[in-house]
Amino acid sequence: MFDVFVAFRFLREGRAQTLLILTGIILGIAVQVFLNSLIVGLQSSLVARTVGSAPHITGTIPDLEPSAVLPPDPETRTISRVITNEGSVKPIRDGDTIVAQLEKLGFFTVILPVARGSGFILQGQKTLPVSLRGSDLEGADRLYDIRRRLTAGRYEVGADGVLIGKDLAAKLRISVGSTIRLSTPGGDDDLFRVNGLFDLENQAVNETWILMSLPRVQSLFRLDRGLTEIELQAEDVFTAERKAADLRAGFPSVRWRSWEETNASLLTALQSQSSSSYMIQLFVLLSVTLGIASVLAVSVVQKSRQIGILKAVGTLTRHVGRIFVIQGAVLGFLGSLLGVAAGWGLILMFQAARSADPSSFPISVSFGAAALSVGVATAAGTLAAFLPSRRASRLNPIEVIRNG
Amino acid sequence: MAELIALRDIVKVYGTTVQTTALRGISLSMPAGEYTALIGRSGSGKSTLLHIIGTLDRPTSGTMRVDGRDVFALDDDGLAAFRSRTIGFVFQFHHLLPEFTAFENVLLPFRAAHGRATAAAEKRARNLLERVGVSDRMNNKSTNLSGGQQQRVAIARALINEPRLILADEPTGNLDTESSEAIKALLREINRENGTTFLIVTHDRHVAAGCDRVIEIDDGGILRDFRPADGTPDETWAALAPCECRERRSGDLRPAPTRP
Repeated sequence: MFDVFVAFRFLREGRAQTLLILTGIILGIAVQVFLNSLIVGLQSSLVARTVGSAPHITGTIPDLEPSAVLPPDPETRTISRVITNEGSVKPIRDGDTIVAQLEKLGFFTVILPVARGSGFILQGQKTLPVSLRGSDLEGADRLYDIRRRLTAGRYEVGADGVLIGKDLAAKLRISVGSTIRLSTPGGDDDLFRVNGLFDLENQAVNETWILMSLPRVQSLFRLDRGLTEIELQAEDVFTAERKAADLRAGFPSVRWRSWEETNASLLTALQSQSSSSYMIQLFVLLSVTLGIASVLAVSVVQKSRQIGILKAVGTLTRHVGRIFVIQGAVLGFLGSLLGVAAGWGLILMFQAARSADPSSFPISVSFGAAALSVGVATAAGTLAAFLPSRRASRLNPIEVIRNG
Repeated sequence: MAELIALRDIVKVYGTTVQTTALRGISLSMPAGEYTALIGRSGSGKSTLLHIIGTLDRPTSGTMRVDGRDVFALDDDGLAAFRSRTIGFVFQFHHLLPEFTAFENVLLPFRAAHGRATAAAEKRARNLLERVGVSDRMNNKSTNLSGGQQQRVAIARALINEPRLILADEPTGNLDTESSEAIKALLREINRENGTTFLIVTHDRHVAAGCDRVIEIDDGGILRDFRPADGTPDETWAALAPCECRERRSGDLRPAPTRP
């Protein structure tokens, strides 16, 4: 109690010095919080853009290696044909069973059975390659957020209806209500009615995707009610790779790929960004600690008279030491608390300044990160007080009393 | 009177390679309630003796018993606790803490001993400040007090834990004559009213002459130990003269009675 009382009084009466070091801590922690939130915000926005409206794990049939019927041989002038399997669509074996088992796991928030094949859209003189995707529309909406991004028409396909991307529609000068002809590499073709246009904010998707019902794609490609893909989404995007590994072990007949695998370079970039940000935060914290340590070291010298008197009037040695430890902890705690507030203010200003910019992304201070900053800074302040406090407790009161 | 302090063969040696002997075997007994002056030239060892009696310093050898208890057998924390209960200090340079008000300074030894100030302790602090005549300044920071006022606050602080012994190191050394007289009278009054034992280090012959007993230290030993009341005022005055004067006038100096 007594040590707390004296520690607070020393801090209060050392106004200029206390304010100076507090300002230092506040600035340091504000920068640390701002930087951390910026990086976290940037990264989660990047991740959200990459996988927010995309499957986290996709199961497909294993790639069939292109194979030649006869190896080409220039000597014998053999004419060889290479079968690339392109265009040929094979279903996942036991796709429905796998989907049923995945549903029982309860881990995935979206499980979307998909039948997909490459085909062509024929319109007047033009023939364009497209990707025909058949799936349950509700499930597709949960995964790709399509309904909200429909630019025209209705979100329904029925038996012969399709949804196409707005860029494809623009290229072919077609609109809602138009009839289009789609053909498969196998030579089957049929007529479809355009029910709606979507804009999934990705040109390749907007130019090639054609959404229709699952049975329609299955029959068009003669899949016999089979699936070509199973698309999955989980609660936490960063568990995808781990889960994919489990799936590879559990369902080896399917090729499972996580978004982390397909976006390895993005992840590497995020990781190096994180480590450089941690580096900066570490050094900020280090300089905050050294700042507190040096201020307390000076304070012990300045207050040696007071320490001597306190000891002479019966203050225990350990209480004398604690007076300085408490000061370090209070400086660290108060400074980091205000620093978090200042960092938060910086973020609000940054957001306001960038609100007009369409590429801006949301930044928020997580309560956990803020609490961690305060906790670490308080611990650092306490640690910084260690040497000054030892010096104070070793001070000999006689030196002070004798010399006035 | 019951014996409060008993020193036996107190030796203090400073330094390890170059040794300086500050006290060479001092034995001394102080009854409770006695008002004693400790005099001697600079470097005679009187401050060292005061610090040892005040338990701020440990002797190289020898024992001190307070109320029959061997205090230097205690560890440092034990000594600190003992000190805060038993001894009050009044220093030459007042030594108030500038961060605290007069009232808070008075309560410091109580807080050091008990953690927080009780209502009773606060009441006692107010009474003490009134007793020493600075109750109107009790909420002033100590830097806003005159030298005399600071010393009065320091005396109140020395009394807060109701110590048996007050050690005063040149309590009037830094004050003008008027304040000096007032402080001298105040200390004596406290001694008479509370029966508190006093040991006052002083260079001031006026202070020493008003004490029950005068102990003169020279070269680390007790040179003389006498009661001013036993001699005539002139004799006492002469006995309290600085040594160099005494040597010149040694003809008219009757040796002061030395107590066993």
